[in-house]
Amino acid sequence: MVKMLVPYPDKCTGCRFCEMACSLYHEGKVNHGSARLQVHRRDVRTDFPAVCTHCVSCGEECCVLHCPVEAIKNEDGIVRVEESECTACGTCVEVCPFGVMRMEDVAFKCDLCGGDPTCVKFCPMGAIKYEEPKPEQYELVRNLLKEEE
Amino acid sequence: MKGYAGRILKVDLSTGKSSIKTIDEKYARKYLGGQGFAVEIVYHNVPEGADALSPENVLAMAPGLFAGYPVPTGGKTAFAGKSPATNTLAESIMGGSIGAELRHAGYDALEVHGKAEKPVYLFINDDEVEVNEADDLWGKDTRVTPETLKKRHGWDVKVACIGVAGEKLVRMACIDCDDRQSGRAGLGAVMGSKNLKAVVVRGTKDLEPADPGALLEIALRYQKIMEAAPSFIEDTKYGTGEFLGWINKEKGVFPTRNWQESVFKEREQIDPYYWATRYVTKNKACFACTKPCGKLFEVKDGKFAGVVIDGLEYETLYSLGSSCGNASIESVARANEVCDLVGIDTISAGVTIGFAMELIQRGILTEQEVGMKLTWDNAADAVPKMCEMMGNREGFGDVLSEGVKRASEKIGRGSARYAIHTKGMEPPAYDVRGMKGHGLSFMTSTRGACHLRAGFYAPELVGKFWRWEGIDRFSTEGKGEKVATMENFMCVYDSIGLCKFSRGFFLIDKLREVIKAITGLEFTEDELLRTGERIHTMKGNFNVLQGITRKDWLLPPRILEDPIPDGPSKGSKISVEEMNRMLDDYMTFRKWTADGVPTPEKLKELEIA
Repeated sequence: MVKMLVPYPDKCTGCRFCEMACSLYHEGKVNHGSARLQVHRRDVRTDFPAVCTHCVSCGEECCVLHCPVEAIKNEDGIVRVEESECTACGTCVEVCPFGVMRMEDVAFKCDLCGGDPTCVKFCPMGAIKYEEPKPEQYELVRNLLKEEE
Repeated sequence: MKGYAGRILKVDLSTGKSSIKTIDEKYARKYLGGQGFAVEIVYHNVPEGADALSPENVLAMAPGLFAGYPVPTGGKTAFAGKSPATNTLAESIMGGSIGAELRHAGYDALEVHGKAEKPVYLFINDDEVEVNEADDLWGKDTRVTPETLKKRHGWDVKVACIGVAGEKLVRMACIDCDDRQSGRAGLGAVMGSKNLKAVVVRGTKDLEPADPGALLEIALRYQKIMEAAPSFIEDTKYGTGEFLGWINKEKGVFPTRNWQESVFKEREQIDPYYWATRYVTKNKACFACTKPCGKLFEVKDGKFAGVVIDGLEYETLYSLGSSCGNASIESVARANEVCDLVGIDTISAGVTIGFAMELIQRGILTEQEVGMKLTWDNAADAVPKMCEMMGNREGFGDVLSEGVKRASEKIGRGSARYAIHTKGMEPPAYDVRGMKGHGLSFMTSTRGACHLRAGFYAPELVGKFWRWEGIDRFSTEGKGEKVATMENFMCVYDSIGLCKFSRGFFLIDKLREVIKAITGLEFTEDELLRTGERIHTMKGNFNVLQGITRKDWLLPPRILEDPIPDGPSKGSKISVEEMNRMLDDYMTFRKWTADGVPTPEKLKELEIA
């Protein structure tokens, strides 16, 4: 089984260290908008990380299904953007149920840091784990995100 | 200039106009960021003798130098202005995410001048700055306000706001962001005096460190070292009150019933070792903190069912707990929630209520005057109620909302004898009669009685810190130099935005390493401490210009005259002679006059104009 990022909202303290480390690792600068995951702190009770689930629980909202030029592919369970084929139309950003598809010149997204995810390393609380995907955890996060709409 | 946004945003609420000034490397080296920038803004913009609640006062907000970068525990934001509680230059540091967001919007500081004609909130959306009407938010608490604004502008905006207390100019009003507070010195009332209900920020710009690779490596290395330290487990399990039992029982310096005692014998429930396993449902962290001491505390049933707070900090367990003789943890939690919602500082609120309770005990005040049974044996019911009355300025709460100094002046009848404060600020949870250097730091703190301007309780309780060993908490020897040095060091901390709970870990060498990775700037140890000295001295000199000198610094009668009655510190007090000796030593080390005035030579040496 391919390992994925699995979010644990009950362990998330809302510190957003993972977000900062993610963008610093990938882009050499810090920006929540270029982090491949997003920490939400909505109210006193609610902190949670929204991560890319690589097709495990996106259903109809899957970026792979909706990309009009088929530039997003699921290869061996890991979803990747073929940059040379991306037309930057923004469809994937719109459909992503977790809000973690990003766009600058072309679309970009979580690539699991080549198998050693930065966010997991930096989180001191175990709020993001790198393990077998757990659809029930993704469902928790989707429900929390729906409350923000 | 790497690391910084390079700009300061100035908003004048009287005209509704905003403007931008750029900052250069010279400015950054001189003031670092955070408290340093905020103090510089207040020092150079607030006229001598200005009323803290007038449009002449300036409210500054500045993210610490590290805020926005992944430095463990380094995400703090400083607020500063002339304090309506103390009339001194006061800063108050918070762990909310508003500062980092401000830097993402492209600013290293915000300065708010003037006064809006009617209630407004400020919306900073990167380069767009709007002053919007806030009639619908006026009167709303510190949870409804951000919720309303987030529904309007998106869940990703960050909101700093005041509650009803700030609107009503309560001198202990705080500023709230993410359920974290800039609590002390009444800066919430400064916001209220400007008719400014909230500051809303969305920042989408990149922050570019000088050496991203080095920063990432440092961040992970330090995070892992912190995670492995015993204090990580303690803070994560029990929060800041972890050492409450030890301070109470082993050291006997846990002020109780308005400092009449120093051991709280009914401590059981307010000790985190009791409540953490029973009430805490989740850990909460400040922005960028990997060592979460915040606790989501929920009361599920009983009289106080429904209470939910990020908190029960050590200080609050004392102020709303032992200081009021309140042994009910659920009552302390409810009182804390009330303080957060109406927006008042829990320390000042609790100490002031404890003061009134002692007056009732002594027959100086009556229950009829106060309008409730404000007695030690009725604390669990009375304390949360009185917090609400203070935040709303209702009934006798109006008198107490002014803090112990002003309240004692209004009450008269010799009540000042029981008012515990320095410079008009109610003290935190350390009985300084049994830790004399910390007592000195209550006097020298530019914002009045404070545990964090020098953070000297730690060296005295543990007996060693940083450069020093064998520190005797009952001795006055060498305390002047040590307290002044710690003040300089802590000014550096508040300027780079590090949490003081990291001060045993992030000593100067590590700070230099992180500063270099973020900004590319190299500092020597002396240079950094001198920067801290500059910031402290500016605050000190500001206070002198308001007429506040040594005569106004002195300790209250209880600390000078009443020895600790019982427990491990029994018999100890700070005599007038000891107080004066420590102050003399302090002034000599700082090269200030005996009256507490920085000399022209000192100001020149520190390049303070």
